[in-house]
Amino acid sequence: MIRIKGLHKFYRTRHGLVEALRGIDLEVEEREFFVLLGASGCGKTTTLRCVAGLEKPDAGEIEISGKVVSSPGKGLNIPTEKRDIGMVFQSYAIWPHMSVFQNVAFPLIKGRKQVPKHLVSEKVSRALSLVKLDGLEERPATDLSGGQQQRVAMARAVVTEPKILLMDEPLSNLDARLREEMRLELKKITRSVGVTTLYVTHDQAEALSLGDRVCVMHEGEIVQIGTPQDVYARPANLFAAQFVGEMNFIRGKVTGPGQVDSPLGRLRCPVPPACQTGSEVTLAIRPEHLILLHHPSQGSEALEGKIASKNYLGDTSLFEVEVNGTALSVKLPGDSDFAVGQQIVVVVAPDRWRVYL
Amino acid sequence: MQPMAAQGRTMGVLDRLLRNGPDGSTIFAGGLLIFLAVIVGAPAAMVALMSLRTGFPGEGGPLTLINFIRVYTDLSTYNVLLNTLLFATGTVVVALIFTVPLVWLLMRTDLPFKRTIYVLLTLGILIPVFLRTIAWILLLSPRIGLVNQWASQIFGLDHPLVSLYNLPGMAFIQGVSFVPGAFFMLAAAYRTMDPALEEAAYTAGVSKLRTFFWINIPITLPAIAAVMVYLFMTAIAVFEVPAIIGLPARILVLSSLIYTSTNPPTGLPEYGVAGAYGGVMLLAGLVLAYFYVRLVRQGKKYTVITGRGYRPREIALGRWKWPAMAFVMLYLSMEVFIPFLVLLWTSLLPYLQLPSAAALSSISLKNYRTIPDYTGALPFINTAILMVAVPCCAMLLSVLVSWVVIRSQVSFRGILDTVAFLPHAMPSILLAVGLGYLGLAYRNIFPFYGTIVIIIIAHTINWIAYGTRTTNSVMIQVHRELEEAGKVAGVSAPRVFLRIVLPLVAAGVFNSGIWISMLSYREVTMALTLYSRKNTVISTVVWQFWGSGWVPEVSALGVILVIFAVIVVGALRIGFSRVGEVGSSV
Repeated sequence: MIRIKGLHKFYRTRHGLVEALRGIDLEVEEREFFVLLGASGCGKTTTLRCVAGLEKPDAGEIEISGKVVSSPGKGLNIPTEKRDIGMVFQSYAIWPHMSVFQNVAFPLIKGRKQVPKHLVSEKVSRALSLVKLDGLEERPATDLSGGQQQRVAMARAVVTEPKILLMDEPLSNLDARLREEMRLELKKITRSVGVTTLYVTHDQAEALSLGDRVCVMHEGEIVQIGTPQDVYARPANLFAAQFVGEMNFIRGKVTGPGQVDSPLGRLRCPVPPACQTGSEVTLAIRPEHLILLHHPSQGSEALEGKIASKNYLGDTSLFEVEVNGTALSVKLPGDSDFAVGQQIVVVVAPDRWRVYL
Repeated sequence: MQPMAAQGRTMGVLDRLLRNGPDGSTIFAGGLLIFLAVIVGAPAAMVALMSLRTGFPGEGGPLTLINFIRVYTDLSTYNVLLNTLLFATGTVVVALIFTVPLVWLLMRTDLPFKRTIYVLLTLGILIPVFLRTIAWILLLSPRIGLVNQWASQIFGLDHPLVSLYNLPGMAFIQGVSFVPGAFFMLAAAYRTMDPALEEAAYTAGVSKLRTFFWINIPITLPAIAAVMVYLFMTAIAVFEVPAIIGLPARILVLSSLIYTSTNPPTGLPEYGVAGAYGGVMLLAGLVLAYFYVRLVRQGKKYTVITGRGYRPREIALGRWKWPAMAFVMLYLSMEVFIPFLVLLWTSLLPYLQLPSAAALSSISLKNYRTIPDYTGALPFINTAILMVAVPCCAMLLSVLVSWVVIRSQVSFRGILDTVAFLPHAMPSILLAVGLGYLGLAYRNIFPFYGTIVIIIIAHTINWIAYGTRTTNSVMIQVHRELEEAGKVAGVSAPRVFLRIVLPLVAAGVFNSGIWISMLSYREVTMALTLYSRKNTVISTVVWQFWGSGWVPEVSALGVILVIFAVIVVGALRIGFSRVGEVGSSV
C-alpha cells in the first residue's frame, strides 16, 4: 500500500524555482496495479522517484505499507536502500560488470534483505524463470538484447519479494511489437507475484491496458484518478479528454437544459448542472461513437454532411466528415464502403457527448 | 583446356576491377594512408636506424648491434631504467591522488565555484610544465629557494629545510602537472555513466558505501586504469621535469639520457646510444598504448548513454563543503597560483630574494623592458609561425583522416585510424630526435634541419593523434544522411564535403585547432631537441635563460607567457569548456 499526501516538490532551474509537484494526493491499494499517466514534465516520474526516495519532497508525506518514509515536515526521510521496494528503470540499469546471475543475486547478497547463501541461487533461478530467462545465468549483462535486459531488470526488482514495485517507463526503449508482448507479460508477472505496483508511462494505451487504476497528471497536479474504463469513457476535464484517446472537439453555447447550439446545429447532450444557459462550452465525442448512414433515418438526431477524406488502416477506416463547415473524425470498421465526396448522414447518441466548460 | 579457364577467370576479375574499379575516395584514402604512414613512420624508422649505426648521421657504415651491447651491458643503464620506473610510478600516484577526488567533487557534489575551477584547470594545462618547475625550484631549491632562505633566516638552519632535487620532488611536480589532463579524461568517462546504475543498487536495498565499492568502483575501474596507463606512458617519456630538476641533481631517466646523448654539454653527440635507449622507450610506449586502447574499449562497453537520463542528484557536502574547497584550493595553488606568484615576484626584482622592505623598494619593471634586448624579435616571430602553421596542418590532416575513417566505406579505414593514433605512443623526444637525425643524415631529401619547418613537422605529427580523436568525435555527430541528402541532390563528393560537412564541423575543428595552437605555444621538448639559432622560439629562449642563470629574466618572460595563456583562455572560455575533455597531450 502506498499513501501520498499533499506532496510538493520544487526544482531550482536556470529560470528560477519551478514547482514540479503541486500537492499530489493518492492512495494505491494492496496488490493494485496503479499507473501514473501524463506527458513529459507532468511530474509523474518525480512522484515515483519521491516514493523511491531518490528525490526528496519539499512538503507532504509518503507512506509505504503503513510506515511513513518521507515527511519533510517532521524532518523524516528514510533513505532509498531502507525502503521495502523494487524498481525497474527506463534504461534498465543492468550492471555491466556482472553476469545475469550476479545482477539478480546482488540484492540478495549485498542488499537489505540478505538471505542465507544456499537460498540465493534458488531464489535467483525462480526469479529468472518467472521472466523466462532460465539458462542465461552466466551470460555477461552486456551481451543481452534490450528485451532480455528488461527481463533481467524485472527479475532483479522482484527477487527480494518487495512490498512495492516501482516502474519508470520500463517499456519505452523497446520496439513496438516487443512492447506489446512485454506489456502482457508484465501484467502476468506482477499479478503472480502479488506486488503493489506503481507504474509511470506517457503511453495511454499502455496505461489503459495495464492499470487497475489510472491517474492522469498534468503540470504537477492530478487531473483524474479512475479505472481505465472510467478515464476513457468519462474524462474529468478537457485536458484528460485531449490526452486520453482521440476526440472531436466542438465549441458551443448552452441554450437550455440539455441543449447546446454549435456549428453543427442544435444538439441534445448531457449538460452538467454547473453550466448555466448562455455559457460557452466545449463538446467532445470519440470518433468511434459517431455513426454514418447513407440516408437519414427517422427518430435519431442526424446531421447531414459529406465525406472529405478516407484513411484506410486495415482493421479500421478513419473518415473525415464535413458537417456545416466543421470537420469531424469518424472511426468505422475497415470494410466500410463510404467514398470520398459522398453525401452522408452522421448519427449521434446524445449520451455519448461530453460537455466541458 | 585448364589454362584457358584460368585465363578466363583472370580476365573476369580484371574486367570487374576495371568496371567497378577503385573509385575516387579509395584512391584518395590510399594516398592519405601512405602519406601519414611515411610522416609517422619516418621518425620511428630513424630511431631504429640510428640505434644500428655508429658515428655521425649520414656517415653510413655497416649496421651493427654494438650500441645495444654497449648500453645494455652497462650497469648504470639499469639504474636509469629503475629511476624512470620510479619517477613514472610516483608521478601517476601523485596525479591520481589529486585527480580522483577532484573528479568526484566536481561531477557529483554541490561544490561551489565549479565553473571557475574548470577554467583554472584548463589554464593549468596551458602553463608550460617547465615554468611551473622553475617556479617551484625558486621556492624549494636547497640553496637559493625562498622557503629555505626563509627557514635559515628564521630558525638559523644551516642545512636546507626541504629540497626538490630528488625523485619524489620530480614525481611531485610532474604529477601535479598531469592532473588537469587526467581530470578531463576521467570526467568525460564519468559523465557517460548512467546514474541509474547507482540508483538501482539503492532500490535493491544496498547501502551507499557498499554501492560505492561494488558498483561505482568496478564500473569506473576501466576508465581509471586507462587514465593510469596513459599517464604512465606519458611519464616515461616526459622531459622537462627530468631535465630541469633531474640533470642538476644527477638523477637520470630515459628521456634526459636521450637528450644528453644527442646534445652533450661537452664532447660529441652519440646518436647510436640515444637510439639504443630510444628503442626501449618506443617499445614501452607501443605496449602501453595497446593496453590503453584495450582499456578504453572495455570502458566504453560499460557506458550506456540513456535517452532521457536524469541528472544524478548532487550530493550535498554540508559541513564538508569548506574542507573540500580547501582541498581544491590546495591543488590549484600548487598548479597555478603559487608558481605564478613566485614568477611574478621574482620578475620584479633584480635578484631572487625574500619579501622585505628592501626588496619592495627595489621593485621595477626593468626585467620586462630588457627582454627584447636579449631575445630580439626572432623567437616571437617563430612562435607566431608555429601557432598558426601547426594547427592548420594538424587540423587539415585530421579532418581528411576523420572523413575517411568515419564517413567513407573504404576497406582500410581502420588501419588509417590506427596510424593516426600511433603518435600517441611515440614519445615526443624520440619524435624530435628521429626527425633531427633524418634532417642531418638525409639533408638532400629533407633539407629542413635547423629551420622552423622541422619544428612545425614535429609538432604536427605529435598532435595528429589528438586532432583526429577530436575530429572523429565531431564527425560522428554529423548524421550521415545529411551528406547523403547532398549527394542525392546531385552534388559531387568533394563539394558535399566542402559545403555540407565542413561548415557543420567547423566549430569543433576550430576549437581543437586553438587548443593545438596553445599546446604548440607552450611546447619545449621538441623545440629544444631540434634547436638551432635560426628556429629559436619563446619556450627555448626561457630554457636558455634558465641555463644561463638569468633568473629574473626567466621569470619576466614566464609571466608574459602565462598572461598570454590567461587571455586566450578567458577569450575562448565558452568554446574551451569542451575541448580539453577529449583528453590529450598533457
